[in-house]
Amino acid sequence: MNSKISFILDGKITYIDFNPANGLTPTTTVLNYLRKFPNHKGVKEGCAEGDCGACTVALGEPARHRSGGVENDRIRYKAVDSCLIFLPMLHGKQLITIENLKSADGKLHPVQQSMVEEYGSQCGFCTPGIVMAMFELYKEHPNPSRAQIDDAITGNLCRCTGYRPIVDAASHACTHNGVDHFNTDEPRIIEMLKSIPSESILIKTKNQQYFRPATMEEVLLLKQKYPDAIVLGGATDVALRVTKGHELLTELIDISGIADLKIVNETHSELAIGAGVVMNEVRKSVEKNFPALHQMLNVFASNQIRNVATLGGNLGTASPIGDALPVLMAYGSKVELQSVNGKREVSLNDYFTGYRKTLRKPDELIASIILPKQPNGVIVKSYKVSKRKDLDISTLSAGFSLDLDKGVVKSIILAYGGMAVTTKRASITENFLIGKLWERETVEEAMQMIDKDFTPISDVRGSAEFRMAAARNLLIKFWQETNTK
Amino acid sequence: MEKMIPHESGIAHVTGEAVYIDDILVNEQLLVGRVIYSPHAHARIISFDLSDAKKVKGVHAVLCHKDIPGHNQMGPVIKDEPVLAENEITFVGQAMFLIAAETEDQCREAEKLISVEYEPLDAILDIETAIAKNNLLGPPRKMERGDAEAALKSAKHIILGELRTGAQEHWYLETQACLSIPGEGNEINVFSSTQHPSETQTLVAEVLGINRNEVVVEVRRMGGGFGGKETQGNHVACWSALLCNATKRPVKIKLFRDDDMIMTGKRHRYLTKYEVGFNDDGNIDALKLEFNSDGGAATDLSFAIMERTMLHADNSYYIPNMSVTALVWKTNLPSNTAFRGFGGPQGMAAMETVIDRVARYLHKDPTEIRLKNFYGTETRNVTHYGQKVENNRLNLIYDKLIESSEYEKRRKEVDEFNSKNEFYKKGLALTPVKFGISFTTTFLNQAGALVNVYTDGTILVNHGGTEMGQGLNTKIQQIAAAEFGVSIEKVKVNATNTSKVPNTSATAASSGSDMNGMAVKNAIDTIKERITKELSTIWSAQYSINPSLQNSILFKDGFIFDSDHPDRRISFADAMLQMNLRQVSLNSTGFYKTPDIGWDKIKGQGKPFFYYSFGMGVSEVLVDVLTGQHTLLRTDIVQDVGDSINPGIDIGQVEGGFIQGVGWCTTEEIKWDAKGNLMTHSPDTYKIPTVQDIPKDFRVQLLEGVPNPIGTIRRSKAVGEPPFMLSLSVWLAIKDAISSVANHEIEPEFSLPATNEVILLAIPKLKPSRFQRP
Ligand SMILES: Cc1cc2nc3c(=O)[nH]c(=O)nc-3n(C[C@H](O)[C@H](O)[C@H](O)COP(=O)(O)OP(=O)(O)OC[C@H]3O[C@@H](n4cnc5c(N)ncnc54)[C@H](O)[C@@H]3O)c2cc1C
Ligand code: FES
Ligand code: FES
Repeated sequence: MNSKISFILDGKITYIDFNPANGLTPTTTVLNYLRKFPNHKGVKEGCAEGDCGACTVALGEPARHRSGGVENDRIRYKAVDSCLIFLPMLHGKQLITIENLKSADGKLHPVQQSMVEEYGSQCGFCTPGIVMAMFELYKEHPNPSRAQIDDAITGNLCRCTGYRPIVDAASHACTHNGVDHFNTDEPRIIEMLKSIPSESILIKTKNQQYFRPATMEEVLLLKQKYPDAIVLGGATDVALRVTKGHELLTELIDISGIADLKIVNETHSELAIGAGVVMNEVRKSVEKNFPALHQMLNVFASNQIRNVATLGGNLGTASPIGDALPVLMAYGSKVELQSVNGKREVSLNDYFTGYRKTLRKPDELIASIILPKQPNGVIVKSYKVSKRKDLDISTLSAGFSLDLDKGVVKSIILAYGGMAVTTKRASITENFLIGKLWERETVEEAMQMIDKDFTPISDVRGSAEFRMAAARNLLIKFWQETNTK
Repeated sequence: MEKMIPHESGIAHVTGEAVYIDDILVNEQLLVGRVIYSPHAHARIISFDLSDAKKVKGVHAVLCHKDIPGHNQMGPVIKDEPVLAENEITFVGQAMFLIAAETEDQCREAEKLISVEYEPLDAILDIETAIAKNNLLGPPRKMERGDAEAALKSAKHIILGELRTGAQEHWYLETQACLSIPGEGNEINVFSSTQHPSETQTLVAEVLGINRNEVVVEVRRMGGGFGGKETQGNHVACWSALLCNATKRPVKIKLFRDDDMIMTGKRHRYLTKYEVGFNDDGNIDALKLEFNSDGGAATDLSFAIMERTMLHADNSYYIPNMSVTALVWKTNLPSNTAFRGFGGPQGMAAMETVIDRVARYLHKDPTEIRLKNFYGTETRNVTHYGQKVENNRLNLIYDKLIESSEYEKRRKEVDEFNSKNEFYKKGLALTPVKFGISFTTTFLNQAGALVNVYTDGTILVNHGGTEMGQGLNTKIQQIAAAEFGVSIEKVKVNATNTSKVPNTSATAASSGSDMNGMAVKNAIDTIKERITKELSTIWSAQYSINPSLQNSILFKDGFIFDSDHPDRRISFADAMLQMNLRQVSLNSTGFYKTPDIGWDKIKGQGKPFFYYSFGMGVSEVLVDVLTGQHTLLRTDIVQDVGDSINPGIDIGQVEGGFIQGVGWCTTEEIKWDAKGNLMTHSPDTYKIPTVQDIPKDFRVQLLEGVPNPIGTIRRSKAVGEPPFMLSLSVWLAIKDAISSVANHEIEPEFSLPATNEVILLAIPKLKPSRFQRP
């Protein structure tokens, strides 16, 4: 096993050996690593928790097919928050920072040029991050719509400008079909990336063991041997324990390089999404057949976070406010668990057993999430109520599914997040509604039943009173949106 | 003058080359500083032990109040803020000890080894409790005109009520930061993210017990300030200077976001009581206001802020009988501080609530009531504090905006939409702003500059203002270039440095460009005077029959020439070399003090402001009645900036200020728990606007062709703060939407910010309908 990691920085392969002399540990973030260099101080820390985007850098990787295979002639650029990425996660990737954007002759990149011309910076502290977020947009979405621009910039807080000039800069800059000096260098970079072996890595320091296995088999063996080790999907949740909690994480298994977990498999009856598929890919995969999940993912975190956060990680947190969970429940999804002893499927309904407790055994991994395609006529909707509409954690969220037979409720799923210690179905209300006419009077009666299903808490995101009022109201909203009359 | 000049640091910003405190390259002797703060809102410190902490490897200093060589004081006006707590701590987040170590981890390790014994004391955590315990921070103030009491008695209609406006966190992207580097002897160089370098210098000198001429404070730029670094940037500077002094090594402190949010003050929250008397037409005859602000644990700028509230309680309206009472309360929270608008927003929120309520009461459109009560031009044009509202542009802007925003038509459309929709409601509101420009503490209205011209014709401008993104240095660069008649590339604006320009005021009160621009011009005038004198001598000697008059010599397009004899010309650069050879000094200081102002604080009468800035905004929102979430559909703004020096920058100030205001009015909610801990201490729970929160349709216009009639720099007007308050149009549009649920028959329960929770919980109280249980 190798103990070094390799990636590309400033156009060259960079190796990191973790030792006390260079002060780097496997849980050093890319942000803190970069800021050690005199020539990489453009990357800024605004929050160290993924909420401000000042630390945005881009990662380049050979583009991937949905089936998991690699396209060998193109690099896919993704903007990510460097404050939430542990150094070993860079292995085999190209790291691009604000300092790399100018071309060799000193010319500004088109997004930089537009930002200057449009007065897109005031104090300038958010600016490198914004430019890097815009860089992904430039490369991946030529001639973006306003919605695409907003989506690309949501993860970047700017306290000075009011964003309008930034939006204008993006729309003026992203008009060159993504062409820039990176295209010229791409063949060389691809060759370089290929030369980095995708081997297993074990980083052992005085206090930490960081495994970065290369195959699924290894992952399962490690999970068996180290059942308490922390699994890293995208680390957007785990990294906060380091950057905010200042915890020393002693045993980690990084599964972000496992190709087997990144596969999306569609059959006529279901869609199986690998646990390691990142949220932006999930969002694309479900657009056609699972619009309610798609809609939820539109307001899930930010582009930077969705570029690394995985669906497996969202389930893995078992958080009562995990946004994908209620709507996955409404779709009747199943969780596929895997260990050295094999695979098993569990209905998401039964999966959560208590506050951040699940049916998953310590040696098991979440392998995939299986969404059954819905029969004709079944309507599924999702709702998120949060203080700020975007890049906010839900105060409450919901996924509802309804099957009517001549206006009568044949089956209904009312799954809520943020109302109990787990994602939870309003089963009393559901039972009340089954067999009844789906009309306003019934729904209003049902709203009162919600009180029997839930006793939410008051916390910083909202009072219990607010949660209850909104939870009831979502029913009438659902009725209104499904009422075809 | 070239106007559309990009931000002077634009290229440095977009390439990441712009240097902020944390980016300054320092040698390997740099130590990391860390501030250990109190975990209690109010407690007595019985004992503490730092000995174990000092033993940690890599730790170079652990300091407490006893280690302060000078004064243990950093209050800017009133000396009521210890640098490090002594016997008592008065809020969660108060600095107690300082650590300097080689790494951040060593600091944290040492921190864990500090033991402190406390005796917890009762804490006051809100205005109500402070009022109940009569815990005032200073004497109440009153401003009066006419007899509000009597006029209220005789008024046809009276409304009374209460309004709560919330605190706001500055959320500058760059947290508070300072790097101190020791020099020879007592000398210390302080690189600080401060809006007030002279005060930082003063306090560092006092805290270290050294002279001011031994302290140099430098500010290249801030990553945002918004008032949060007007006084509280000083704190971090004092702490890092103390550690630097103790270790004789460079020490940098950059607060972590959560620590910054926990330790520093916010915009003051207010509880305002009002009583208004008016007639059937909506003419307001009497208004009584009582402002109660939460000052926090120390004075900071609370009284100046409250004064500005009192001076903006009228907003844009003439009210014959007015009485304003103001009380600043002391609580066990971090001392609240300056924030864009400086008390103005809280005053205007109250006044606009009054207008809105009068309108609803009379079943009239609020714009009608606004128009009716605007200050007049010939009559009804004196404020409650005796200043005449000159060059009033309210009606001009109103007419323009009503037309360009299609207000009337959209009012009808909104009403129609609301009559047809049960679950979504729209709201529309227009609000004006009249903002007084000048520090109300009159002596602060002064600025200095130092301009150096070099023999290659390049110019280095120093001034006392600080750049925090507002474009001050860009405007200064433009002003200097225009005055010297050279292109802007020839002008460089230096980092603000107390050894270049001393004894300056804070960059605040929107006055940065007004005052520093004038001081720079003054310096340039002096240099130009010398140059023209010398050139007229040279040319007159050359052409003795037709001598050159000094006054005819002009600076333009990189040349200096005699306008009476245009063939007598010399390039600017050549001229500078000549001047040097002929022993003419090419540098000068400059100075400016705002003329024609005078304010009697005791009587509350006079002319505190040099002039007023005017603006108006119309906003339309869509409220989801079932979730309380809202969407800002459209905002139209017309802002008066006089003759803009740089429209790109000014529009940026209008838009940025407005959106920051929208945050204050909607999603930015600060919560403390029952023990005085800040619950919203990170961006995870404290939500400032994202790109998705700006108006879907955002139309900002600067009022054109109306230079400032009074002598400001290039006839421009200040722009930093006024647009913030235009966001009240969004807040009242939300209220309009809510109130439409009950067909505007019932006054909704409403406060600021109007979060989704406030909105959702207001609705059932309006309409105990079938679907919303009360
Ligand atoms: C700024 C910000 C915004 C956010 N916004 C949202 C939001 O809007 N909605 C929302 O729901 N969440 C949000 N999150 C939380 C987080 O991003 C998501 O929960 C995300 O899906 C986690 O995925 P990950 O791959 O990064 O998880 P990781 O951090 O890698 O892991 C999370 C947990 O899951 C476990 N885990 C990961 N993969 C597996 C696996 N295959 N098998 C077993 N266990 C596994 C890990 O051990 C860990 O306990 C946000 C986070 C941040 C920082
Ligand atoms: S520092 Fe704020 S997102 Fe990384
Ligand atoms: S320019 Fe200051 S935060 Fe964006």
